[in-house]
Amino acid sequence: MSWEAEEEVAGKAWDGRLFRRLLRYAGPHRWLFIKSFMVLASLFALDLVGPWIWQASLDGPVQDALSSPEGTDTAPFIHDLLMLVAVYVGILLLQTWLRYFEVATLILTGQSVIHDLRRHIYSHISSLDLAWFDRRPTGALVTRVSSDVENLAELFTAGVVTLAFDMIRVVVVLALLFTIHAPLALVVTLMTPILILISLMFRGGARRAHRTVRAELARLNGYLAEVLQGIAVVQLFGREAHVGARFGEHLARYFAANKRTILLFALFFPIMSLAVYLIQGATLRQGVISIAGDELTIGAFLRFWLYLTLVVQPIRNLGERYNVLQSAFASAERVFEVLDTTSNLPTPSKPSPLGPEGIAPKVQFQNVSFGYLKDHPVLEKVDFEILPGQTVALVGATGAGKSTIVNLLLRFYDPSEGQVQVGERELTQVDLSDWRGRIGLVLQDDFLFAGTVRENILMDRSGIDEATLLLALKASGADRVVQNLAGGLDAEVAERGATFSTGERQLLAIARALAGQPDLVILDEATASVDSETEARIEQATGLLLQGRSALVVAHRLSTIQRADVILVLDGGRIIERGTHDELLAAKGAYARLHALQFELEA
Amino acid sequence: MRHKAPLLVGIVAIPLAQLADVLVTILVGGAIEKVRLSDNQEWLTRTLVLMAAAAVSHAFFRFWQRWLVVVVSRRFEVELKQELFDRLTRLDLSFHAKSRSGDLVSRLTADVEALRMFLGPGMMYTLGAVVIVPISLGWLFFLNPLMSMSMLLPMLAVGVIMQRLTPRLHVHSTAVQESLADINHRAQEDFGGVRIVQGYQRQESQAQRFARSSEQNRDHQISLGRARGLTHAGIHGSFDLTFAVILILGGLAAIDRSLPVGELFQFVDLTIKVFWPLIAVGWIAGMYPRAVASAKRVQTLLDTRSALTETDSDVGLDPQKTPSFEFDSVSYTYPDADSPTLQEISFELPAGQSLGIVGPTGAGKTTLLLLMGRLVDPTNGVIKCNAIPVRDLPLAHVRGALGYVPQDSFLFSVPYGDNIRFGTDEDINPEQLAVLIEQVAMTGEVARFPKGTDTLVGERGVTLSGGQRQRTCIARALARKPRILVLDDCLSAVDTHTEKTLLQSLREAGQGRGVVIAAHRLSTVAGCNEILVLDDQGAMADKGTHKELVSRPGWYQQTWDRQQKRASLEDNTGAGA
Ligand SMILES: Nc1ncnc2c1ncn2[C@@H]1O[C@H](COP(=O)(O)OP(=O)(O)OP(=O)(O)O)[C@@H](O)[C@H]1O
Ligand SMILES: Nc1ncnc2c1ncn2[C@@H]1O[C@H](COP(=O)(O)OP(=O)(O)OP(=O)(O)O)[C@@H](O)[C@H]1O
Ligand SMILES: [Mg+2]
Repeated sequence: MSWEAEEEVAGKAWDGRLFRRLLRYAGPHRWLFIKSFMVLASLFALDLVGPWIWQASLDGPVQDALSSPEGTDTAPFIHDLLMLVAVYVGILLLQTWLRYFEVATLILTGQSVIHDLRRHIYSHISSLDLAWFDRRPTGALVTRVSSDVENLAELFTAGVVTLAFDMIRVVVVLALLFTIHAPLALVVTLMTPILILISLMFRGGARRAHRTVRAELARLNGYLAEVLQGIAVVQLFGREAHVGARFGEHLARYFAANKRTILLFALFFPIMSLAVYLIQGATLRQGVISIAGDELTIGAFLRFWLYLTLVVQPIRNLGERYNVLQSAFASAERVFEVLDTTSNLPTPSKPSPLGPEGIAPKVQFQNVSFGYLKDHPVLEKVDFEILPGQTVALVGATGAGKSTIVNLLLRFYDPSEGQVQVGERELTQVDLSDWRGRIGLVLQDDFLFAGTVRENILMDRSGIDEATLLLALKASGADRVVQNLAGGLDAEVAERGATFSTGERQLLAIARALAGQPDLVILDEATASVDSETEARIEQATGLLLQGRSALVVAHRLSTIQRADVILVLDGGRIIERGTHDELLAAKGAYARLHALQFELEA
Repeated sequence: MRHKAPLLVGIVAIPLAQLADVLVTILVGGAIEKVRLSDNQEWLTRTLVLMAAAAVSHAFFRFWQRWLVVVVSRRFEVELKQELFDRLTRLDLSFHAKSRSGDLVSRLTADVEALRMFLGPGMMYTLGAVVIVPISLGWLFFLNPLMSMSMLLPMLAVGVIMQRLTPRLHVHSTAVQESLADINHRAQEDFGGVRIVQGYQRQESQAQRFARSSEQNRDHQISLGRARGLTHAGIHGSFDLTFAVILILGGLAAIDRSLPVGELFQFVDLTIKVFWPLIAVGWIAGMYPRAVASAKRVQTLLDTRSALTETDSDVGLDPQKTPSFEFDSVSYTYPDADSPTLQEISFELPAGQSLGIVGPTGAGKTTLLLLMGRLVDPTNGVIKCNAIPVRDLPLAHVRGALGYVPQDSFLFSVPYGDNIRFGTDEDINPEQLAVLIEQVAMTGEVARFPKGTDTLVGERGVTLSGGQRQRTCIARALARKPRILVLDDCLSAVDTHTEKTLLQSLREAGQGRGVVIAAHRLSTVAGCNEILVLDDQGAMADKGTHKELVSRPGWYQQTWDRQQKRASLEDNTGAGA
């Protein structure tokens, strides 16, 4: 029980903080907020005039006519009535005009904030470290920038503006009620806390339920996105029914979570309604007594009643809004949870410059140890350097840690022990965008974006002219691929380059790496799925193109790396041999054995 | 529809709840009349008790209305999602290659959501209105026929307004849904390719692209907001002005003493009650175009048919016997491509034999294997399995015979062991799992995973090394005990030592099975019964055994020599040093 209570309190503090953070996003658009507020305020003020006219008509001309003896000329009363109606029509027209803004401005306001927030969370996510991405399905992340942000939008439209306004509305109306008839108003005022109490009681449960809904939705979407990406595997293995059933399980959980929120609000609405009726009943009772006691006119009572509907409606709406709000808050939590995550790779406060571009900095691994997870070391005391202009090759069994070295060199992760240095500076102190900007990268998993071939090779980097681009295409052998495309360089690329063969994608990835005229080229199994003729051509052409540049090459085919300046043989995360091809063969160690094996296989 | 019963009860609850609400108003109106006429207040208690009864029944019915109708709308959402999902997973590969997954996801999320929003609350309010409006109108008509006729005016006006604005709402709604899909697509792609985005330090420029998509969405939302503002103002305005008409007519009648003031009160309050549902219906009508836009996007998906037709003939494959395959001058052109990828391919793969496929990058090896798995159908020519055209065989039989190792090693983010189990419906016990892992030489590595075979694999297998992923895919195929093993470049990411072990296991696994293997290293296919050489136009350049092919000039001989020379060159330099 006490645990529940504590959580409740924590929730409250959290809401306040959430709200303040949200307000910060509202700041730049404060004029829009003020405008929305003014529209609502004017509408509300005009809303208040309506009942007054009704009272004036009933207590004025109508009452006069009724109290005058029968048979009197009714023309003056009618004239008075028509005057009032004319005012009424004027007000209604004004209101209609404002109603347009009530919707349009509110949406404009909400969407402006959402756009900012969405950009913000997107940029934030894309700046997070890879360890964070490794643990999260892309589809679930997408849900945060799309569906959660949209859901959160309600906080600004239904929330900040409308809700705040509803409160004001209730207070003002209550005050007005007092001016009509204090005892009657007192009855209403004394009863409103019931409504607040009910809302508070529902809040905790509603929030928890909505949290589960959002989390389940993210999981559902994550699974969906994943299956779509692996659709070929699903179909090849005839597992459509299997994945369908798993999707069904996700759906069932999502549905159950939703049912909880529906039940809560199905209860909440009628209870609020009952409370409203209670207030109305009490008002009626008191009103009838007062009218009978001649303390209240019927017109005043009608006005009182119409004013009362002005509070009753927002209170009833509150139920709907409350539901939306709780869901929006649950989304806000998820959005801010991401925004509160900081990258595990702190950016240096004063990044050191790397010196002029075009000159490859020296790269050094000093006793580097690393594991993706604690207590599961992948690299142990790895020590080597890439001197400017050198080509260093990494060979070794699969899972030995070759790609991991590449990951550290790019600072996708930081070592747990030892240092990676570039240009005599610790990599953690270097301006990352400068460093990565000098690297031409081909990862083991190729990745092409939807767009054109040209966009995929240029990658928005400035300063790549057409000649360089063509040179890179030629050197990588991708020129033949491009020639076969109907649109050439401007041909459309499908998502992940799905319409290219694996080898073609690798060639395009190499072209992309070379086009930037990088100081350091990283080729991680860059030609694993390319035929040997093309491979040989690439080797020759890139050899020329990369003169004076450093290179780190990972390969299983020893033939591709025999010209490397240094070959590092990795085993179980340690470097067990190093030297040139000839030295290593002469040493008759692991490399020589590997080499002999390959020859045996080829023969 | 399975949810008829709750839906019916829910629908019945709606008018009942509304009626109770109307009853309250009538009671209040009556009370005001009575207070004018009688000094005695005994009736008051009775009215209050009746009001309480009405209130409680209102609350009661309201609960059931909400609970039943909203749950049904959610169930509708869930079922539609399931149906769309099942459709999607059965659409052919060419469809998926063309579509953006972000867009598809968005149809299953944002669009289905828009439909649900319309159907759930929409149904509730519309049905409520259908009942309460006639009743209230009837009552109003009974009170004062002339005044109640004035209520028809706003309804007419609303009809005209909606008719005028619907096209506009529709256009903007479609644009909004499409730009949402675009946002989804961008995020999906950039987060999925985060290694390249960060590796090339492209966060900024990708963020700008994303911002453009987001901006477009914002602008469309705002335009939609304007259109909705017009609708909103129009509907409210029409209704509000009715009150002015009531004030004139009612006021005149009251002055005439032809209408008691209490009835005027009832009239006003009932009018408000009629209008709320009507305004809600107006609001729903505003959502309607968005729902239609979404429904269209959903419907297109539901209407998309797989290019692969399922046969209704009842011939099948014997699940115990290894089938033979035959390609009879098969050509294939990808949709939207202008030249064929495969041309006139003919070969036979007798049961239990092995076939190698080689050729330069982009020759069409993968495409050929996809044709075998019937992920696509040939544009020309016939593929036969056991001499029956595969089109006449159940899809499940053809694919069921194959154990496929795709070129890109796709794994799911499920526990490691489940990735291997994915291959088959049969139960695989831990011992069998261990055997499979041993077959792909991963026993040691798996043991070192944090939780062994229960270790969760990252999306697409990112937490495994390239070679580990590839071997896991082989294990997945072997788990099926396939009658034909289809291996697409499946040794490209492993080191020579592992390659040797794997080749050995595959050879053993291939005993009594058919094997089709595409590779770049000729040594991998040298042992095959027959080898198919494709040229870069996707035509068959040559066909024969390894011995035959090396003995005649051509791509195969050249490549073999190159690969040999390289290997021996290395060896010579090595020996010389
Ligand atoms: N993101 C990750 N999270 C957890 N473990 C990982 C991750 N990436 C790799 N590993 C593990 O680290 C080890 C080394 O992987 P790495 O990718 O560096 O191998 P590799 O030498 O490049 O192998 P290959 O030749 O097969 O590509 C493997 O056992 C792998 O399972
Ligand atoms: N979905 C597609 N739509 C259009 N063209 C495609 C599609 N998939 C592949 N292609 C094209 O068809 C040709 C053959 O591709 P395929 O993947 O079969 O080649 P491959 O021989 O397996 O090549 P690799 O050696 O690189 O694996 C390539 O030129 C490729 O660009
Ligand atoms: Mg291929």
